[in-house]
Amino acid sequence: MRLPREISAGAASRRRLLADMSIAIAIAVLASLLAAGVGVVAFLALPTLLVLLSWITIEAVVRGVRRRSARSAQAARVAER
Amino acid sequence: MPSVRSERRHQSIPFWRRARRIFLLAAIACLVPATISYVRAMGEKHNVGLGVRSVEWLRQNGGNSLVSEIENWYYTLNAPEKGGPGLRSLPQVGVASAGEEARGRTGEAYQPPDVKPLIQPALPGEGLWKKAAAKAGTRPPVLLTTFRSDPEYPQFVAGVAWIDSSRTRLAYVPGLAEPPPPLAHRGPAEVPEAKRGRVVATFNGGFPLETSNAGLIYRGKVREAMVDGVATVVEYRDGRVDVIPWHQGPGAPANVWFAKQNLPPIIEGGRLSPKLSDGPEWGETVNNAVRVWRSGVGVDSHGNLLYAAADFQTVESLAKILQRAGAVRALELDINEDWTSFISYRHPGAGEPSNLLPEMLRPPERYLTPDERDFFAVYLRPGERW
Repeated sequence: MRLPREISAGAASRRRLLADMSIAIAIAVLASLLAAGVGVVAFLALPTLLVLLSWITIEAVVRGVRRRSARSAQAARVAER
Repeated sequence: MPSVRSERRHQSIPFWRRARRIFLLAAIACLVPATISYVRAMGEKHNVGLGVRSVEWLRQNGGNSLVSEIENWYYTLNAPEKGGPGLRSLPQVGVASAGEEARGRTGEAYQPPDVKPLIQPALPGEGLWKKAAAKAGTRPPVLLTTFRSDPEYPQFVAGVAWIDSSRTRLAYVPGLAEPPPPLAHRGPAEVPEAKRGRVVATFNGGFPLETSNAGLIYRGKVREAMVDGVATVVEYRDGRVDVIPWHQGPGAPANVWFAKQNLPPIIEGGRLSPKLSDGPEWGETVNNAVRVWRSGVGVDSHGNLLYAAADFQTVESLAKILQRAGAVRALELDINEDWTSFISYRHPGAGEPSNLLPEMLRPPERYLTPDERDFFAVYLRPGERW
């Protein structure tokens, strides 16, 4: 069976997410097999999760601030005209 | 047909953003089984704080060497400095005041010689044995003393207990989690109510089986295969107690009631082990040379037990304390402030429990409630009275 080539942006996004999840689960399984125990896995995974979540949060906040300032600048320009 | 805009968005997702998402999902996937295991472990019955329980969980789930590395690093950073002002007094131990110590005992029973102080001038009561219990008679089953253990660190105080083996019996008491299941006849993990009338002292056990890689015989049966060459606290079926290097193979000899192993001997034939300063010899634990709370147990030349504990000790300095107190064979027991306890009971019925040293972290009632770890209890023999 072949996956359709022409797909919507939403479908492409879901397909990417599925692929990413598969890779993530493979990494998790590999890490669990290689590590001495779930404690060590958690010891490494928890800070990784916190760092990535912080990164994503900060990025989202910065993007939001930029968007708001861009909107207010645009509104100011419109008002000046 | 996809729009041009959506196609552009599809192509414009940078690689690093996808990689970040993959690692985020992988971290979540890794944490699912770990969280289940952690929550289950924390839900079990404990008598220690969440921090200690978490560290223990990490140790039990493959993180033993990781925890040891962190501990080594932490203790090395917080190592005490040599010198400093000397002490003016020692913590009071036992019930007899200085000058009225155990020297007044009469009869033909063996009396341990007082511990010769290392630092001069000696402080009042330093190294003099005192009765652990009130109304203990002329032959107290437990004697206690303190002395400054290291001339280079004049603030360090070691606590030592001497236990008369002719009047007492030693019991090995399994804890709630150590030794780990399965274990037949685990018991209440505390001094049993029925035996409290005879208990005179309790003290901490050794390393957990998982980290000591050593053996255990409990009630005459092997729980963990014994390892030749490892130091062993052994009680024979006739009540005799000894600390020996084990050379009897993995099984349980018919005359052994319990045998708890912990690391190689630190004193043999009255001499310190020549390997005391070698890290690997003492296993995958906090490094030998790191100064932490340490405890040990040995026997004197008359077969009586000697227990010692102190903060800021290396394996070697602990061995020297026991040797100075008269031990001819000895092993290291558990370490760290969370696990080191020696408690004597001043009155029958486990009345007025008292820590050997006031700095000991765990409360004197520790072994009167179910405890996490295994421990030793010292009972008066049948027919012996307070």
